[in-house]
Amino acid sequence: MAGIEFQKQERQNKHQVGPFRQENIYLPHPAIIREIITENETVSTFVLEFEDALYRQEFTYKPGQFLMVSIPHQGEAPISISSASALTTTFALTVRKAGKLTGAMHGLSMGDVVGIRGPYGRPFPMGDLEGKNLVFVAGGIGMAPLHSALFSCLEHRQKYGAITVLYGSRNPDEICFSEEMKSFEQDENVKCLLTVDEAGDNWQGHVGLVTELLDMISIDPGTSKALVCGPGIMIRFVIARLESLGMQAPDIITTLERHMKCGVGICGHCHFDEKLICSDGPVFTRDELTNLENI
Amino acid sequence: MAGLATTFGSGAMTNSINELDHAQVVLVSGSNTTEAHPQVARRIYGCVDRGAKLIVIDPRRTKIARYADLHLQLRPGTDIPLLNGIMRSIIDENLVDDLFIEMRTENFFAMRDMLLQIDLDQVAATTNVSKCMIRQAARIYAQAQRSVICYCLGVTQHICGTSNVQSYANLAMLTGHVEQEFTGVDPLRGQNNVQGACDMAALPNVLPGYQSLDDPGVRNKFKQSWGVELPKTQGVTLLDMTHGGSVWSEGFEQLPEPIRAMYIMGENPMLSDPGIKHVEATLRDLDFLVVADIFLTETAVLADVVFPAASFAEKIGTVTNSERRVQLMNQAITPVGNSRTDDKIIAGIASRFGYDMEYESSAEIMEEICLLTPLYGGMYHDRLKGSWGLQWPCSDRTHDGTQYLHKYSFTRGRGRFEPGDHVEPAEPLSEEYPFLLITGRAYHHYHTGTMTRRSHTLVREHDRPYIDMHPEDGKRLGLQRGDMVQVDSRRGTCNFTVKLTDQMAPGELYCDFHFHEAPVNTLTISCSDPVARCPEFKICAVKAEKVAL
Amino acid sequence: MTGRYLLAKDHLVPLLRKIAKSNRLVAPVLNEYGDTLFSHITDLDSAAIDLAHQPQNSLKSFFFPQTEKLSTYLVEKSPKTGNVRYNFYPHTVENQPTAYVGVRSCDMFAVMYTDMTFLHNGERDNYYQKRRDNAFFITLACNHPFPNCFCNATRSGPFLELGYDLQLTDLGDRYFVETGRSRGMKIVEQMGQFFKPASEADRREQFQLALEARGLFQRNVHVELASKILQEQDEPVGIISELSSRCQDCAGCAYVCPTCTCFNIADLPLDEESGERIRSWDACTFAGFSKMAGDHNPVQCESQRVRKRFLHKLLHDVAKHGRPSCVGCGRCVDICFGGVDIISFVDRVVKTIDHCRDVD
Repeated sequence: MAGIEFQKQERQNKHQVGPFRQENIYLPHPAIIREIITENETVSTFVLEFEDALYRQEFTYKPGQFLMVSIPHQGEAPISISSASALTTTFALTVRKAGKLTGAMHGLSMGDVVGIRGPYGRPFPMGDLEGKNLVFVAGGIGMAPLHSALFSCLEHRQKYGAITVLYGSRNPDEICFSEEMKSFEQDENVKCLLTVDEAGDNWQGHVGLVTELLDMISIDPGTSKALVCGPGIMIRFVIARLESLGMQAPDIITTLERHMKCGVGICGHCHFDEKLICSDGPVFTRDELTNLENI
Repeated sequence: MAGLATTFGSGAMTNSINELDHAQVVLVSGSNTTEAHPQVARRIYGCVDRGAKLIVIDPRRTKIARYADLHLQLRPGTDIPLLNGIMRSIIDENLVDDLFIEMRTENFFAMRDMLLQIDLDQVAATTNVSKCMIRQAARIYAQAQRSVICYCLGVTQHICGTSNVQSYANLAMLTGHVEQEFTGVDPLRGQNNVQGACDMAALPNVLPGYQSLDDPGVRNKFKQSWGVELPKTQGVTLLDMTHGGSVWSEGFEQLPEPIRAMYIMGENPMLSDPGIKHVEATLRDLDFLVVADIFLTETAVLADVVFPAASFAEKIGTVTNSERRVQLMNQAITPVGNSRTDDKIIAGIASRFGYDMEYESSAEIMEEICLLTPLYGGMYHDRLKGSWGLQWPCSDRTHDGTQYLHKYSFTRGRGRFEPGDHVEPAEPLSEEYPFLLITGRAYHHYHTGTMTRRSHTLVREHDRPYIDMHPEDGKRLGLQRGDMVQVDSRRGTCNFTVKLTDQMAPGELYCDFHFHEAPVNTLTISCSDPVARCPEFKICAVKAEKVAL
Repeated sequence: MTGRYLLAKDHLVPLLRKIAKSNRLVAPVLNEYGDTLFSHITDLDSAAIDLAHQPQNSLKSFFFPQTEKLSTYLVEKSPKTGNVRYNFYPHTVENQPTAYVGVRSCDMFAVMYTDMTFLHNGERDNYYQKRRDNAFFITLACNHPFPNCFCNATRSGPFLELGYDLQLTDLGDRYFVETGRSRGMKIVEQMGQFFKPASEADRREQFQLALEARGLFQRNVHVELASKILQEQDEPVGIISELSSRCQDCAGCAYVCPTCTCFNIADLPLDEESGERIRSWDACTFAGFSKMAGDHNPVQCESQRVRKRFLHKLLHDVAKHGRPSCVGCGRCVDICFGGVDIISFVDRVVKTIDHCRDVD
């Protein structure tokens, strides 16, 4: 037992000083696209695996962390990991077609190669979540980093209290991970509520903002933790609503997005007041964020 | 150029840029100074800080207009009636400088007679500027002792550009605000060396230093130096060159003999000239086209031969700025790859033609300029080195250059009043084409983007063609920030990303011409000022509609 | 352990010549166009070393070049599968031991400050580190601050107490030399022929000069008070809009600033199958600095960008590192033609607050 623990520890240490960080912090490593799952018209999940066998073995990550992804001739962009940190050698990125780089990424096919650096950033405090009732509140592509945390929790379901997923999307077609969301309907482990801004013909569910879903469940502020991710304005409103429901600032956890170039706290692009989103975040608790104006 | 030449006798800034520091009133017209001439703008800001008054005449509420004490947001193309209105107010309020008019000018009576016909109510109706503001502008400008007029392409790029400029000259003469330090009429030149190019006779009708082509003495001087007889005939203007050969061109006289070959240096008329379709037809009709440029431009693509030219950083030479200041630029790096400096390319061609140009350096070329061009008589490289340069006229080695022009008397003797009348824009708005399109330049790009669109940082700042529109118009067209708009004129179509901004007056649109993705000059009209041949880039009629995604 | 020595002025160049045998030399050099710039000296005899003027550039570009290749990448399409292969090859820094001579306190302090960003913030930047490890500093105390200097207000000069290898103080015909880090001591030991011990009188003379220099600043800039005010309350209304209306978005302030180290990384395709990954100086006053995919920009207008820069210097870096990231070199004051410099900001912040009258 102690042996396994030790190995784990060693692996952790290796990860800190391991090949990813040692020689050149700006050097990406090739990773092959093993699978592309089309979530909807603008969002796909790319399942990746490092080309190099050593990296494949060494690579670990935690929910909430992100990778710097290089696409040929397009440069680099930060993308949060959407897969749970299971012990497989593959990992997944769920990407919305938004700019030039993500657009080019959507043009890639299985077997193509992208460049990867990372993982970077402070992960979700998974240890603090144990024994708590968890509320995941996501908007749009903000589901991606929460997906990683959610499925990590589901892997060790017994460690957590009630798990509730509240997910808002612009319209039914833009819901990501829809198969999984559907499967939650039959799953007693997870309570899942969806809402859309604009309903289509086939939408039977709730229409409105994701904050409205918060009124449809009951939250016990003392025993709950909320994980929030989505567009800045949505995060702001959800946090306000959670606070009005009596939740304490340290129990509200969010993850922020910024333009980044280095990912490791040097280039200065992701300055948010005195913090750097890449290295101080991207995961923050509410009490760490004094100013929500520009998130 | 032509406007000031006829009134004052010399077509350049009468003051130095530094003199702006001491102005009491600055009148800025048709110039987005903050973006296009930041070094001038900072002086204007500085003197406003010290208490000077700022008047801006511009159809757009630009940054400098927001800063002004008085912003006359005129309807585009109505400079002449507005200026006439201001001058009429000056006469009404008896703010005229009689002594100056008497001693230094001519043709004032014609001017006065014309002004006395002016009806301010009608001016207000034509220009969309209230009578009260016109009077205020008149008082502020005329009552100060040191008033400076700065104008730019918003004044000149009209079919009545020459007359527009003359109106500003009239205003300055009427109040005696010229021929002195700290007060004058200052055209701001667009590029770092457009003044130098004009000085060196990149004009169809003069020899270097504006020496007359018809003067036998001058012709003889050049003949002696160059060993060849100079042609007597005038050249043709740029627009006649790029449109004259085209079978479709309207408004241009067919040249007596069509141009068969062209050698284009560092210019990209395939984006920068109006009526690009005509330009393309003309260039394609040529027997032979040579282009020298630092990159393969849209124009160079059409060429039979392309010479790779060296950039500014790869050569030694001078540039002449707005305030007639000749400055030496030092070579920073050796020419990259196979590129050569323009003088080496020209000398190479000349020697193949059997005429050897053997200059060992650009300093030697400058010596020849000094010898043949009285304006530049003392501009030797060794004098320019290590200094901020010299301002022409500079007659010889002992001459320190000229800070401001027309000291004691105008270059042409007496300044001449040239009364002007309102000229309607060449293309009126109609029901089908209800928007008035103004074109100009953006801060982060230079001309056709040949250089600036290769800089990652500049591209990141400004990466696509935008069109500015008043929010009300946007609302009417169902547009939100970032939507695509299709803009059509009678001549062409371009697509832009829309920017809704109260910089624009309702009914007016503004865009820049830096992007080949939206070749704005397919929209513009090729009508031009009959004297200066400067095209009406500032006004054409267009329609706009949202592009469905 | 600080040693105190004297170096005759006549011996400076001979000393540098000895140092140059195993080091590259960088010093302020007056070029033929009349500008004093920190430059590589290849020929000591022809270079006009200028210790009388403040160099227009700081040392920033010697550790963190304006543009720098990080790696080369290849993109190859496999003819068999049609799949793309994509590999990066790191660019290694060519750098040799370098002696930086005539570095004034502000610039030395700035190097120590940028160390925090590049070496001690999180990851270590190996490009910076390589150059930094090779660096040796002979600094020059400022007896006569320049017109826009205010390093007394930022506590980064005019004399240094640490950071240097050797610090020179001009005593007229000779330099008073202090040894700081161990490499400085080593130079004195190895090249003892140039140095002789300083007397107590020399030390007092230097101390006197240091005191006098503090009184020679022409600018009285309340940097610490401004920081304190900003910690307590939002900056007074109107200041930012007034200053930002003059900002030309040229980034000159950030480029000349010795502690502004934000950078961009971009791919420069060479052809379809290869390209270079380049990093270059960036500035938070550019609109594109924080622009994200799909044109979303959390820092919207010009005034917010200008605000961000000043608050970063005077508030956020104080929170993060315990001191403002301004070293008082005055270069942004020299370069900004809109007057949107840190002194303007500090003055305005302080002026609008009543209790500033109680200070000084």
